[in-house]
Amino acid sequence: MKNTETKAVEKMDQAKPAQELREYIPVTDIYEKDDGILIRCDMPGVPQDGLDIRLDHNELEITGTQAAGKPDGMDLLSGEYGTGIFRRKFSVPQQIDRDKIVAKLRNGVLHLELPKAEQAKPRKIEITTGG
Amino acid sequence: MYWSDPRAWSAFDELHSLQREMNRLFDGYESRTSMSRFPALNVWGNEDNVVVTAELPGMEPQDLDLNVVNNQLTIKGERKGDKPAEDAVCHRSEREVGKFVRTVRLPFSVENDKVSAQYENGVLTVVMPRQEATKPKRIEINVSK
Repeated sequence: MKNTETKAVEKMDQAKPAQELREYIPVTDIYEKDDGILIRCDMPGVPQDGLDIRLDHNELEITGTQAAGKPDGMDLLSGEYGTGIFRRKFSVPQQIDRDKIVAKLRNGVLHLELPKAEQAKPRKIEITTGG
Repeated sequence: MYWSDPRAWSAFDELHSLQREMNRLFDGYESRTSMSRFPALNVWGNEDNVVVTAELPGMEPQDLDLNVVNNQLTIKGERKGDKPAEDAVCHRSEREVGKFVRTVRLPFSVENDKVSAQYENGVLTVVMPRQEATKPKRIEINVSK
């Protein structure tokens, strides 16, 4: 039992990146329309390949790793912001059509469209009056 | 010991932050100064250049206005709202919109007419070459024999 425990700890240590990056929570807007949910996250300095979006059951996790903030061969003279990783989790209550999720990254803003599954869309219920 | 732990939750911290928030709302002064601190800037330098970087996501390059006068860099701009549709319900709105101006004094004199700027992935990078006269020079030491 003890053996497996230490093994697990070793594995975790290995998985850690050599240089630990700071984590930031990206500021986010969330909108809802009849046919879907729109999420906008500010993720400046994150390149397309630094982005990772996962939807696991009802939990949506967005991770964006910023490109190195330090210009080549420069020394920092005064620093007001740091760079690292943007990470945020959301719980998505509605059923989402996973195959139709669209993610776009433009000028440092992530635009995420989560279309609602057909059965989760609001339906108008016709009321018939008994004549 | 417990209260000195910076990570520990403290009721006094909560109260202080509430007080700060109230002061900010009522005197309106601090909100103006905090506006002038946006965007956050990193200033970099080496022997040849001064570089200023800023995180400004969701802008268009034409909405940014840069100026270098008297060793001061001024960044002006406006971030426009991007509400998807009029009928969309807003659940959360944290991303701020509006106009901003930020002026920063540069650590070295720069060549005003050789300034270049780039906007990529929401990060603005302004490169300003240093004036020849202010560049560091190696001083040779002559040894008298």
